[in-house]
Amino acid sequence: MSIEAHGVRRSFGAVRAVDGVDLVARPGRVTALIGPNGSGKTTLLLVLAGLLRPDAGTVRVGGVDPLADSRGARAVTGWMPDVFGTWDSLTAREVLLTFAAAYRVPDDVARPRVEELLATVHLTEYADRPAHVLSRGQKQRLGLARALVHDPQVLLLDEPASGLDPRSRVDLRVLLRDLAGRGTTILVSSHVLTELDEMADDAVFLSAGRTVATQSVRDAVTTRRPWRLRALSQRALVTWLDERGLRWRADEPFAAPAEGAGGVVVELESEEAAAALLRDAVGAGIAVTALSPATGALESTYLTLEEERR
Amino acid sequence: MSTEAQPRIAPDEGAVPPPVRHAGVWSLTWAGVRTVAALELRQRVRSTRWIVSLVVFGVVVGIVTTLTYVVARQLTGDLGTGAALDETAGRTMFGFIVFFVLFLGLLVSPTLSATSINGDRAHGTLATLQVTLLSPAEIVLGKLLASWVASLAFLAVSVPFIVWAFATGGTALVGLVTTVLLLAVVLAVVCAIGLGFSALTARTAGSAVLTYVTLAGLTVVSLIVFGLSVPLVSGVERVEVLTEDWAPGRDITFDEQGRPSEEIPCVLREEDRYVSHTERTWWLLAANPFVVVADALPPATGGAAIADPMTGIRYGVRTMRLGVQEPLDECWSAWQQWDERERDRRERADALGAVWPFGLAANLLLGAAGVVVAVRRLTIPQAKLPRGTRVA
Repeated sequence: MSIEAHGVRRSFGAVRAVDGVDLVARPGRVTALIGPNGSGKTTLLLVLAGLLRPDAGTVRVGGVDPLADSRGARAVTGWMPDVFGTWDSLTAREVLLTFAAAYRVPDDVARPRVEELLATVHLTEYADRPAHVLSRGQKQRLGLARALVHDPQVLLLDEPASGLDPRSRVDLRVLLRDLAGRGTTILVSSHVLTELDEMADDAVFLSAGRTVATQSVRDAVTTRRPWRLRALSQRALVTWLDERGLRWRADEPFAAPAEGAGGVVVELESEEAAAALLRDAVGAGIAVTALSPATGALESTYLTLEEERR
Repeated sequence: MSTEAQPRIAPDEGAVPPPVRHAGVWSLTWAGVRTVAALELRQRVRSTRWIVSLVVFGVVVGIVTTLTYVVARQLTGDLGTGAALDETAGRTMFGFIVFFVLFLGLLVSPTLSATSINGDRAHGTLATLQVTLLSPAEIVLGKLLASWVASLAFLAVSVPFIVWAFATGGTALVGLVTTVLLLAVVLAVVCAIGLGFSALTARTAGSAVLTYVTLAGLTVVSLIVFGLSVPLVSGVERVEVLTEDWAPGRDITFDEQGRPSEEIPCVLREEDRYVSHTERTWWLLAANPFVVVADALPPATGGAAIADPMTGIRYGVRTMRLGVQEPLDECWSAWQQWDERERDRRERADALGAVWPFGLAANLLLGAAGVVVAVRRLTIPQAKLPRGTRVA
């Protein structure tokens, strides 16, 4: 029940929106689709959702080719677009019941399912209010519930976290991890990379319509990246780093190391390296107050790729 | 860096995807159609403006019916009394109200359906519906059903007034039933045409304009083209003419009204006359919804003396279909037999058969074309997108 795309290409007139994407998203895992604006994420998701026909390449969603068996692919796929509208005059419950009927979910199954979903996305108290009173984040949550109404095995989410408050983002993460734990294949596009760090298992990086890298988040954690090291005396910290021959840079490059508390940024190979550095610094009597990654794991990969592209 | 760069694919590589098999595009279930129709109607019925426009519609039709009734009564009173006159007044009122309702229906129905698909696309609600297990045909027919039901609500509001007009006399009950049914069918056709255009164009204003242009083409432009095309099918020909024999030397006296005191004998001659072969162009009139409704109304039982607009249109179009009828009748002085000759003319026109089945068939074909276009445009995965549209 995985998602597979090979050599997918799709252009709109002269614009090559997707220009050679390879992607595999495995069941039980959350795969992040990362790329700058206009890199083809949404178009790729439209192809995977079975709405757009690719110009070239092959696609399998849950083992079904949407080109050969559109209906079969749609039956196993849940899709939440980046921008979508709601039927203003319908209540949240009616929207979900309508979509359950559209997915041919029997009525006796659909009713408890809809109640359960409304509770999951915390919209139970809004269930009988027309959708136009919902806030943007609430509409977003309703859209997520709609994508889940037929219990799909493959879930395609385009920027699901946009417009969500911090609490809802945590809920979204918990929900997606839960679904993945039950074997759902989940593909999430986003550019809020710190969120994906905690949510995703794998990452696919798109740029200018192409797959430029694939990586597991575990690998990303072991990638060389900047860490922020903070001590009670910035001068003592810097002196110790110079003695060890470690390269560092200050947060404020033109100021002399301060007598008081301050931090520097060091490049470290891995979390093991970070642990060793901390142990050594504490052993050397440096009053370390914090050591943390300066950027998210996926963010550093993303920025590296951006630099390579320039 | 533990990221592995993917080999870049040259633009001309990559397998060409298999041809799309559009299985199940036309699969239809009542549950699917009902789901879409219920969604559309709920969305519409709950907006109060809709109720307001229904009320306004009813008030307008009511006022016009009342005025027509008053005018018809006055005319009848002025001209005297008689069964034929009463029937003419009743049928005129009935025809006028039916035409007025049809006119308003043609105005109102496109606003319901012509924004249905591109409006949903603009709102971002269409694609989420397309990815469900609803077939494109179910979505289209559901939308058609919803806009038709909404149009029928307008028709239902005007039915009491149509019945009132019917009750003033002159129209057979079967005429009332067929007229209302035909109005309903014409509204369905208008909805289907609007739906087709709303699938074709990106903007709701564009599809509304195209739908109105099409309706204008059916009702007004076709009439203008017919009128302008008459000279093209006309010319001077040698035809048989039944004409009065003004033999030289005959002594004729006239009465005070200028009518000859004795009947002038008519003879058959071959003469040159300017004639119009409208049997080649009558079909331009047939597809007109107004002609369809008028032609399908059974003629008055009272005979040729009843001359209401509906009967006039019916025999007008049927006579056009007959074209040049030889011999041309120019026995003007035989006015005493006018009724008989008019009946004879109508019988000949009726013998050729009704015009409305052709018109109805043409309209139904247009409507079917609208549905087919909409279904094709909603079929996914889409290869081409209409200009200026996004999928979602």
